[in-house]
Amino acid sequence: MKGQPPLSPRRGRILEGLLANMAVVTAAARVLGSSRGLGQDGLLLLRRLGVRGLAISHPQRQQQRFSSLDDKPQFPGASAEFIDKLEFIQPNVISGIPIYRVMDRQGQIINPSEDPNLPQEKVLKFYKSMTLLNTMDRILYESQRQGRISFYMTNYGEEGTHVGSAAALDNTDLVFGQYREAGVLMYRDYPLELFMAQCYGNVSDLGKGRQMPVHYGCKERHFVTISSPLATQIPQGEDAHPGPAVGAAYAAKRANANRVVICYFGEGAASEGDAHAGFNFAATLECPIIFFCRNNGYAISTPTSEQYRGDGIAARGPGYGIMSIRVDGNDVFAVYNATKEARRRAVAENQPFLIEAMTYRIGHHSTSDDSSAYRSVDEVNYWDKQDHPISRLRHYLQSRGWWDDEQEKDWRKQSRKKVMEAFEQAERKPKPNFSLLFSDVYQEMPAQLRKQQESLARHLQTYGEHYPLDHFEK
Amino acid sequence: MAVAAAIACRLLRLRAAGAGGHWRRLRGAGLPRGFLQPASAGEDAAQWRRVAHFTFQPDPEPLEYGQTQKMNLFQAVTSALDNSLAKDPTAVIFGEDVAFGGVFRCTVGLRDKYGKDRVFNTPLCEQGIVGFGIGIAVTGATAIAEIQFADYIFPAFDQIVNEAAKYRYRSGDLFNCGSLTIRAPWGCVGHGAVYHSQSPEAFFAHCPGIKVVVPRSPFQAKGLLLSCIEDKNPCIFFEPKILYRAAVEQVPVEPYNIPLSQAEVIQEGSDVTLVAWGTQVHVIREVASMAQEKLGVSCEVIDLRTIIPWDVDTVCKEECFLNLEAPISRVCGYDTPFPHVFEPFYIPDKWKCYDALRKMINY
Repeated sequence: MKGQPPLSPRRGRILEGLLANMAVVTAAARVLGSSRGLGQDGLLLLRRLGVRGLAISHPQRQQQRFSSLDDKPQFPGASAEFIDKLEFIQPNVISGIPIYRVMDRQGQIINPSEDPNLPQEKVLKFYKSMTLLNTMDRILYESQRQGRISFYMTNYGEEGTHVGSAAALDNTDLVFGQYREAGVLMYRDYPLELFMAQCYGNVSDLGKGRQMPVHYGCKERHFVTISSPLATQIPQGEDAHPGPAVGAAYAAKRANANRVVICYFGEGAASEGDAHAGFNFAATLECPIIFFCRNNGYAISTPTSEQYRGDGIAARGPGYGIMSIRVDGNDVFAVYNATKEARRRAVAENQPFLIEAMTYRIGHHSTSDDSSAYRSVDEVNYWDKQDHPISRLRHYLQSRGWWDDEQEKDWRKQSRKKVMEAFEQAERKPKPNFSLLFSDVYQEMPAQLRKQQESLARHLQTYGEHYPLDHFEK
Repeated sequence: MAVAAAIACRLLRLRAAGAGGHWRRLRGAGLPRGFLQPASAGEDAAQWRRVAHFTFQPDPEPLEYGQTQKMNLFQAVTSALDNSLAKDPTAVIFGEDVAFGGVFRCTVGLRDKYGKDRVFNTPLCEQGIVGFGIGIAVTGATAIAEIQFADYIFPAFDQIVNEAAKYRYRSGDLFNCGSLTIRAPWGCVGHGAVYHSQSPEAFFAHCPGIKVVVPRSPFQAKGLLLSCIEDKNPCIFFEPKILYRAAVEQVPVEPYNIPLSQAEVIQEGSDVTLVAWGTQVHVIREVASMAQEKLGVSCEVIDLRTIIPWDVDTVCKEECFLNLEAPISRVCGYDTPFPHVFEPFYIPDKWKCYDALRKMINY
């Protein structure tokens, strides 16, 4: 046809399949004699084919335009129109991403169609997990104050984020936590005995006494052992490092495991480079992963105003191409609904989801912290009294007639008793034998390490009195 | 158009041919003076830049592993990766630019053969690459991560040291990332300068929980890499990039293993022990010959192969303290970042090794 320029692909990299489509459309354009190169129809056809092809097989985005005559952007790096007005995009922090909730602060359902209408048994399990965790926190915090364990971190105020999300997952979904997610394990019926064993580092500790308290792990319950360095779980979870979480999700996808990986982290850990790496990898490699951010207002003493200037963590998701939502973390049903839907779609569509659960850290960062040094008691009291996930759920239960003050009194007594029993037992047990200091560095013990182990044994034969051998299993 | 093309062609021929008469012809073509150096200076410059500081010494053809094929080091790596992906359906290879074959061609053909979900590019982020690899390994699948240059491994240092190395230990063996292997091109190459020449194994040499391996040849590379991939502990495999093309020998086509944490005595000797790894093994081999020839000194040459956990028994350190007749001498680069034009002065070449040996003998 006259005036029809020959089409030439400009890119070095052409998506498979699109090449064939291109040829078809090119031929069609030539036949149809469109004066605008490929033509509108051709473009639409390519784009439709391309986008679907992308979702299935290619994570890459690419401009679909190939005509040299068209005055449209040809850049491989973005799919956008030209604009001739100079305008900076204003980050919206005054009116940020809205916060999804199901219950009001008094535990009343706002929009009945959002009520997950969970059975009584399940909602009671939510309540009992959150309150048992709360009771365990109180006792273990006290025990640290008394010098019985070396360190502890409480979960006050964030129980809803743990339990709501855990309940929405399958039991085999892999969990990469940061360190303030004990409620997830609690919901998965991790026994009190093992929580205590890890805090005491006694012979029953699955972690063999190697880590500080609250660094729980449980292979059976698919909860990867906690590590201290922040955000390191994030890339792993595709693991406080999101990278590993992403890697695990990728492997689950390859194995057609129908599993999602969930990676928890705080708004502070989200500042780490590993978080950026994790988000980007999850999106480009199309991993079935839920990034769950507990935005509790503080990273030790650093308030969110000193942690970021954007609209929290949820606003970052779209920057990576990730589906994102912000929820009321103190509303266990909101957390449940969002996680449930994210899980369904992450597995079905092989893409990451970002949930930012807004909440408040009622307790100190840890037993090494006194938060009155950087925030007012009034502020803390507000959250404790006016907007607490446990009381909101209790109001819901009571309004349904599923709970009353009598049961509350009984349960408090019962849960305290259970915790105290486990606590006393854990305290009585010895620590593991000192030889366990040397195992599991590698799968097999290297010769040098065996020599060191033997040298310690010999040393203790002479100098044993200077060591707390009585507390360790023989 | 034609004239420009003609000039361009001449320039290309000039580059290929090196200094000489072409230079004069080009000046005659009307290009600005001073554009190119006079012929003689150009010739010398090209010459000293081209000469390597070592000669690769191939080992004799291995007979016990079946049919062999002539391979250079990067081809030996490709062969190992090919064997791994064929045997282990969970194995995946990822990193920057691995999809098209890699900047050193180590992964050529693998994506076509095994699919894009098994050989794929990642975004440009080393901490992400290693973190992601750890995650894959935690689920039990085999992860082979490529870091484009060992010089760029540092953003991943935290993941390697604080996570990978400690995964098994800190979880009480509930979890581990043993099926992770990290590969990276390593060492000086003549023109790599500060950020394409580094040998960072020392940073990892004191990190319990990982293994660090450096091969000296294609045959060693394939066997050691296969061992790393199959080892149940996270491993870092550094590949001497200067040997990628320069080292050629007969390498078995089928998979085989060379054990980790075992040094190899490649030459017996009675007077002096020389220990090295990677490219430097070829330097000290030459030093051993020089020592025999010029000083009548008999050298034992040891290729350490695994840096951590290393083969103490073969090298025999503390235990032979009383048997040493001279202090141990370390010949290495200077305590500066790796320089560009000064590389010939920087590297521990055979003359420096020979001189250290001579001083030892005369101690």
